[in-house]
Amino acid sequence: MRSLFLAAALMLFVSSRAGAQPYVGTASPRVGSFEISGGVLSSGGYDAGSRSALESPNSTSTSAPPLTLFTTTSRVARATGAEVRLGIFVSPRISVEGTFQFTRPVLQTAVADDFENAAAVTAEDTLSSYVAGGSLLYHFGSGRFVPFVSGGGAYLRQLHEDKAELLTGSEIHAGGGVKYWLGARRVGLRLDAQASSRSKSIAFEQKRRVVRVLSAGLVYLF
Amino acid sequence: MKRAAAWILACVVALATAPTAFAYLKLGVRQGSRLITLRWNAMPIRYFITNRDVPNVTAPQLRDAVGRGFASWAAVPNVTISSEFVGFTGFSPVSGDNATVLGFSNRPELDRVLGSTSFTVDTVTGEIVESDVFFNSAFAWSAATPGETDRQDIGSIALHEIGHLLGLGHSMLGETQLFSGGRRVLGAEAVMFPIAFSPGTLNRAPRADDIAGISDIYGTDTFRNTTGSITGRVTKNGSGVIGAHVITFNPASGRLIGGFTLSQDGTFTIAGIEPGPQLVRVEPLDDGDIASFLDTSLNIDVDFRPAFYSRLVTVPRRGTSRSIEIAVVAK
Repeated sequence: MRSLFLAAALMLFVSSRAGAQPYVGTASPRVGSFEISGGVLSSGGYDAGSRSALESPNSTSTSAPPLTLFTTTSRVARATGAEVRLGIFVSPRISVEGTFQFTRPVLQTAVADDFENAAAVTAEDTLSSYVAGGSLLYHFGSGRFVPFVSGGGAYLRQLHEDKAELLTGSEIHAGGGVKYWLGARRVGLRLDAQASSRSKSIAFEQKRRVVRVLSAGLVYLF
Repeated sequence: MKRAAAWILACVVALATAPTAFAYLKLGVRQGSRLITLRWNAMPIRYFITNRDVPNVTAPQLRDAVGRGFASWAAVPNVTISSEFVGFTGFSPVSGDNATVLGFSNRPELDRVLGSTSFTVDTVTGEIVESDVFFNSAFAWSAATPGETDRQDIGSIALHEIGHLLGLGHSMLGETQLFSGGRRVLGAEAVMFPIAFSPGTLNRAPRADDIAGISDIYGTDTFRNTTGSITGRVTKNGSGVIGAHVITFNPASGRLIGGFTLSQDGTFTIAGIEPGPQLVRVEPLDDGDIASFLDTSLNIDVDFRPAFYSRLVTVPRRGTSRSIEIAVVAK
């Protein structure tokens, strides 16, 4: 996180040096310009852990293997969702934006190798995942195609089916994308690709996970 | 007596009425339509040890094994259990003398019973006022720390019987194999499984299933505030299945906790489960004598295939999951 702030500070410094560069377009962003965007996103899946149901063996040997009642392998499947962003330009090249993302990933646990031959199943739990946070964007160049890099952090909230149990954590993300301005250049298309590193996520093995997030939508500058 | 396998039978005998095993691991008495859990209300539980040695196990060694057994149950987090060894006695462990006695007793006619626990209970409140445990000296016993080949470990069997003494019934978290002389345990994940491990094998620590059961009886508010329950119904051809063994499995911790459907409509509730998603598996009661688990007057159905519920069931903290229905099919 600290390194991210250093990177952000560096970007601010660079932008102040480059701030005199003109933004080509009839509605070029200036300090105080707002930008709102929204669209669909795809959040990548991840391995959620494996564990077997074990029973103590009836053996005098301490090295005897346990009896495996069944095995499980879990995964959170890729999910689609929606996002909205509201940004403000603090310089012609730099904007700060707030982000809200919502997805409905599915936690899948595949059960196999039942000791008494119960049929293999994949048991599922549909989650609700909310990410609310902020990002700093640095835009390169000008024209219709405007590439940018971004980084930030967010609060993560995930609920199980029936909202019966809650998991909260934090995430930091870094990535980049491109904005393609249309017509009068107030409206454009926006593509984002991010790597989201999450302190917690619904899974059966708790560890920091990196989730790929891709999004596409419309952007409006005013 | 040397056996490949032996039964541990909880001879649940009350003076006023015969208690019925209900809920999951708990023992109880029926009061009209109500089921009342058996439990000790007065702590510490004061007990005597019969002053009788058997080959390889002296009365002081039995005292030590029983003390460790009580300590193991009392060490379960967030339960209130305490006990006190009062002294040795010349009395045998029999009901009705107002003294809780544990000791060896020679019962060769019970050739499958390693130990047995009996109770005197207040059938109105469910309070246990006396409980007696005998260990069958017709078997070969051992008090050796690492166990001894061909001898039953007194520490393991004492832990099981003290579980009964505290009010626990049998767990069915175990797998067995039939052979000419009875059943052989292949594996078990509960001290309260009714069939003992082979002589020389140790089973001295309560597992998740035992812990959930004892906590359900003696748990503090902390226990209730940090765990939840799963409730639901097992059906076959649309009708409730009675006597189905329902297992919850936490894919995060690996903990297995079991319960039973105990009414004609096939409903069950399993308490003491860690919050979070659980797998639920149902199986027939076919790894032991039905009488070891449930009232035989119940119409127990064992004619169905083991099955998993198709969804993960999320257990809320301090609450109960949505009710689920698990449909099973005949074998």
